[in-house]
Amino acid sequence: MPSDPRANPSQPSGVPAAGTVVTGEFDATKARKQSTLVLRRFFRHRLAVASLAVFTLIVLFGLLGPLFWTIPVDDTTSRGYLPPSPAHPLGTNQTGKDMLAQLIVGTRLSVQIALVVALGSTIVGVALGALAGYLRGFVDSAISRFTDLMLIIPQIAVAAILVRAFDGSWYTVAFILAAFAWMQTARITRGETLSLAQREFIEAARAAGARTRWIIFRHLVPNMVGTITVNTTLAVATAVLSEAALSFIGLGVQPPDTSLGLIINENYSQITSRPWLFWGPFVVIVLLSLAVNFIGDGLRDAFDPRQTKVRA
Amino acid sequence: MSTKRSSLPIAAVVGTSLLLSACGGTTGDGGGATEPTGDVAAMAVSKGQSGDEYTSPEVPQSSDTFIVSTDNPYTAYNNQTSDANNSYNAFALTMVLSGAYKLDGNNKVLLNKDVMEGVEVTSESPQTVSWKIKPGVVWSDGEAWDCDDFYLTWLSQAGKAKGADGKDLFLAAGTTGYELVDKVECKTPTEVVTTFSTTYPDYKGLFGVRNDILPAHVLEKATGVADVTTLTPTGGDQAALAKAAEFWKTKWNGFDAALMPSSAQYVITAFEQDSSVTLERNPKWAGKPGGPAKIVLRGISDQVAQAQALENGDVHVNSMAQPDVNAAERLRGLSGQKVVFGAANGLSFEHLDLNYKNKWLADAAVRRAFMQCVNREELTDKLIRPVLENAKPLGSLTFFQGEEGYTDNYAQYKGDAAEAKKTLESAGFTFGGDGFAAKNGEKVTLKISHTAIPRRKQTVELIQSQCKAAGFEIVDDTDSNFLDTRVSKGDYDIALFAWSAAPFKSQQKSIYETGGGQNWSAYSNPKVDAAFNDGVSNLDEAKSRAAYQEADKLLAADNYSLPLFQLPNMWAFKSIDKVYFQSYNGALWNANEWVKTS
Amino acid sequence: MIRFITRRLLISVPILLVGSFLCFFMVAGAGNPVAELRAKPGVTEAQVRALEVSLGLDQPIIVRYWTWLVNFLRGDWGQSIALGQAKVDIFDSVMRGLWVTARLVIGAEVLAIVFGVAVGVLAAVKQYSIFDYIATSSAFLMFSMPVVCVAVILKTYGIQFNNLLESLGMDRWLTTVSPAEGGFSGGFGDWLFSYTGTYLLPTLTLTLISFAAYSRFQRASMLETLNSDYVRTARAKGISQRRVIFRHAFRNAMIPVTTLFSLNAAVLFSGAIITETVFGWKGMGNLLVQSVRTFDPNMLMGWLMVTAALVVVFNLVADLMYGILDPRIRLA
Repeated sequence: MPSDPRANPSQPSGVPAAGTVVTGEFDATKARKQSTLVLRRFFRHRLAVASLAVFTLIVLFGLLGPLFWTIPVDDTTSRGYLPPSPAHPLGTNQTGKDMLAQLIVGTRLSVQIALVVALGSTIVGVALGALAGYLRGFVDSAISRFTDLMLIIPQIAVAAILVRAFDGSWYTVAFILAAFAWMQTARITRGETLSLAQREFIEAARAAGARTRWIIFRHLVPNMVGTITVNTTLAVATAVLSEAALSFIGLGVQPPDTSLGLIINENYSQITSRPWLFWGPFVVIVLLSLAVNFIGDGLRDAFDPRQTKVRA
Repeated sequence: MSTKRSSLPIAAVVGTSLLLSACGGTTGDGGGATEPTGDVAAMAVSKGQSGDEYTSPEVPQSSDTFIVSTDNPYTAYNNQTSDANNSYNAFALTMVLSGAYKLDGNNKVLLNKDVMEGVEVTSESPQTVSWKIKPGVVWSDGEAWDCDDFYLTWLSQAGKAKGADGKDLFLAAGTTGYELVDKVECKTPTEVVTTFSTTYPDYKGLFGVRNDILPAHVLEKATGVADVTTLTPTGGDQAALAKAAEFWKTKWNGFDAALMPSSAQYVITAFEQDSSVTLERNPKWAGKPGGPAKIVLRGISDQVAQAQALENGDVHVNSMAQPDVNAAERLRGLSGQKVVFGAANGLSFEHLDLNYKNKWLADAAVRRAFMQCVNREELTDKLIRPVLENAKPLGSLTFFQGEEGYTDNYAQYKGDAAEAKKTLESAGFTFGGDGFAAKNGEKVTLKISHTAIPRRKQTVELIQSQCKAAGFEIVDDTDSNFLDTRVSKGDYDIALFAWSAAPFKSQQKSIYETGGGQNWSAYSNPKVDAAFNDGVSNLDEAKSRAAYQEADKLLAADNYSLPLFQLPNMWAFKSIDKVYFQSYNGALWNANEWVKTS
Repeated sequence: MIRFITRRLLISVPILLVGSFLCFFMVAGAGNPVAELRAKPGVTEAQVRALEVSLGLDQPIIVRYWTWLVNFLRGDWGQSIALGQAKVDIFDSVMRGLWVTARLVIGAEVLAIVFGVAVGVLAAVKQYSIFDYIATSSAFLMFSMPVVCVAVILKTYGIQFNNLLESLGMDRWLTTVSPAEGGFSGGFGDWLFSYTGTYLLPTLTLTLISFAAYSRFQRASMLETLNSDYVRTARAKGISQRRVIFRHAFRNAMIPVTTLFSLNAAVLFSGAIITETVFGWKGMGNLLVQSVRTFDPNMLMGWLMVTAALVVVFNLVADLMYGILDPRIRLA
């Protein structure tokens, strides 16, 4: 899947000069104040806090699960397709692997993939977007054309090649997803940079002879921190779903690694005959992406309180 | 479906097939009566066959349309070109192109009495066969179905017609058997005489079983060649031959009603590329007309989607050449809705080839130990039985289960890691602290190479854990290019793939004979070579079979290749009296006999 | 305007060239389409080699790409080289796939935009109302579900719904596979019945997914504009609520939705892959997956040319739309 066919929901600032929100100038004291403010506002958002708790639980489930559930994930000594029992609360799969153990590892790898993708795509997207928006001219066109190029190359083709060449372990899949996830971040960042770059404090810094790298990382990026954080959070949710989509056509994570998407793909047709095989991973994946989306929403409101106070 | 039917003995069945009872697919609650009880195995025998002959039976002609789904769509009328050849074309053509012989559900060879008077071996040295066509058999466009068509079949597939540059003009998908035919003569329009260069017991597989008799008159008309029988592979009118070859290769793809008449029960009337092909009753058919008025064969690549389409009534028959556990489970759960599910062993089997070029595997003890640790019972149980409930590990490289002559030569290999370890020990291997076997301080590591198919991944995963206890370190080598360059260079330790065979045996020779074209593991045993040479050329069926059995036994003793299991085909249907998936020609092989049930 | 369009189209030419080159190399280098032949007993290396020669596989990839490019520029899209495909014509296949997918996607996208925008505006205007909560939470839920799950659940329960209809003595309505060959027949009632039955499930799958995005997006951007100075000013001037919303806020709030639409274009056609797989439609998604699986770079090129052209056109249209929606954005 060239990414999930859903763009980022809560980030309307994709267009240059229209609808961008500028949080204001940056300096250290204010930043501390701002981050305290943001945190305080975030924690007032009950749904977001609950989601953070859910997300933490899911991560803990993936990380600490193996300590409490000791059946090895690659153990095939049980019979295939056992129904749920105390020995196998979620039954076993076709080759006799314990589904709970699968689910624990799948959750961990899915979260791992999603985090790597979100961070990776944000770093690349922000760097390229800020460069393009700040330097403009040749660099801007070059980066824009590169973005256009990545938009037409089918992710599936790249996935098919890389998954085959590198055995489809989780980091291969993370790389593929990240390689096709940064374009939107780049566009948004470019748009914001374009409007920020016109402002006095940037012009002042430039006049004072500051280097490009300095301006971008000391002035531009901190001023976009709200947008970037929200965007990164939401990219986590998108990555979880994109991984599932890629797995469905057999180009995601390959055994012996596993992921929520792979488990769903292997078991979706058992939705009526062995419901536990489908609904287990389904609930985890939906909770995971729902929680992350709510956290993102909470963060957006926290960074930009004006939106929540509208009275129409 | 009627609910009571006595079960027939299964012993005589090639593809061991059976009725799979249903328990909602969840927990086998046992006890309760299972529905339906229609014996699917019995459906392998068609209504029209008696003894070694087939005649289309009288069935009520209905106005029904049956929609049949299969994994891939139909692509070409000429299924013998190397770029079109695939089994899904045969699935439709089996009702469109007649031949001298046909196969029943058990791959029993039947003389096609609708169009043939008889076939006779008139001399054994050199072998000559006389094929007598029934007079009056015509194509659906009215032209006679006769010797010209047989002649073209041979001309195009013998691989002997070479262009000026020495390249094969026709580039047929296979030349098996036809390349041994020296000449084809038309004694009369309805009598064909073929002369073989060496004896060839599989001659019944020529002229028709592969749906390969195409309308010579269509080719003549389109190319301006007056008479194809005047063309010869070498010498003669080379320009005309090249023209004929060009037409044969390119014009019988896709669909064009004018170029693609029928010589069997149904004629192609519509085609939607990538999707479906429509067959309707052939009004000019020589035998008794088919029952259903119309049959649509659709390609639905996802097997679960096929099963759901049947469940929802969008299609009437599912036919799947690739086994899929999820689809099987689903279909089995539909017995309450009068869906009959069947599964039967098909014509391909998975196996592990042990490469003699590998330094460990060159040692017979290592090969033996490896075969001892692989638990084929567990592999079959977990990978195949969810589809075919009574599947058994395959015990022969040359015969399929249930086939006459099948003996289990691999019964001693039961997946006993302790025994394997003992074998290694007595061959001088030591075991390190990690439990892995080693010799001269070097650990025994073996790679199993295969293409990226989920079932093969699972196979390797299971073998890894089975053979670990015996001291083998097994590495999974998944490579989608494995069959490209690596296999033919013998670049592997252990190769895992499936041989998909036609129901005739002579093709096996090149896999196992010394220096054979597909013997990539440097295997060589003069006794095996001799046995195969005898098998492929002995016209006495019993002696030929004994030769293949001998070869099989010798192969097993050499521990060269371990057969795992046969890959089952599966099918399901609703509201039709009997449907069976013929492992070579698909579900439509007896579609002319289908009768709708309520 | 014309200059702008021409320039944009000209810029996309080198991008297409580089993109096609990369994709061709990836797929052609990934594997050999005829390799599977070796698993048939009796097939000789000479036969495999001869087939490779006849398909042009003996040439270096760069030569194959060049041949493809020259032929493409002459209007010949080439033939498939996948095993068993009988050298099917690529232009034919791609157009067929496009037609299938277009029928599926356009309907879904229109429904998603109409409902998404409407719900988004309402939810923003009535922020924190019951409606907002329901709309927001259901959008979040849809948004958090893998497409495959939506499709599978809809299909499973669609079949059960049919069973229910049948038990009530009615005809089965919903179909789980692509339209039958030859189209629909019968009177208008029958036609409508089978048309809706065939399209409903896959269209609904795609609609639900995009709907979530559009409604969330619209709500967010609507809130932002409602909160902006000019809307406050308009409101302060005593302009009616209705007029404020529709004349001032709505128009500007549409801009980000337009962006979303144009971004969606890239994945619009290929994004239907899963829906197509689950429902057995042979559209563009199927074409892409097959061409990659069977190592058929020629087919992939056909797919790529059409999709890339669509991406370029959609982006262009979106940019033109900005100009209409917001006169401040000038095209340059």
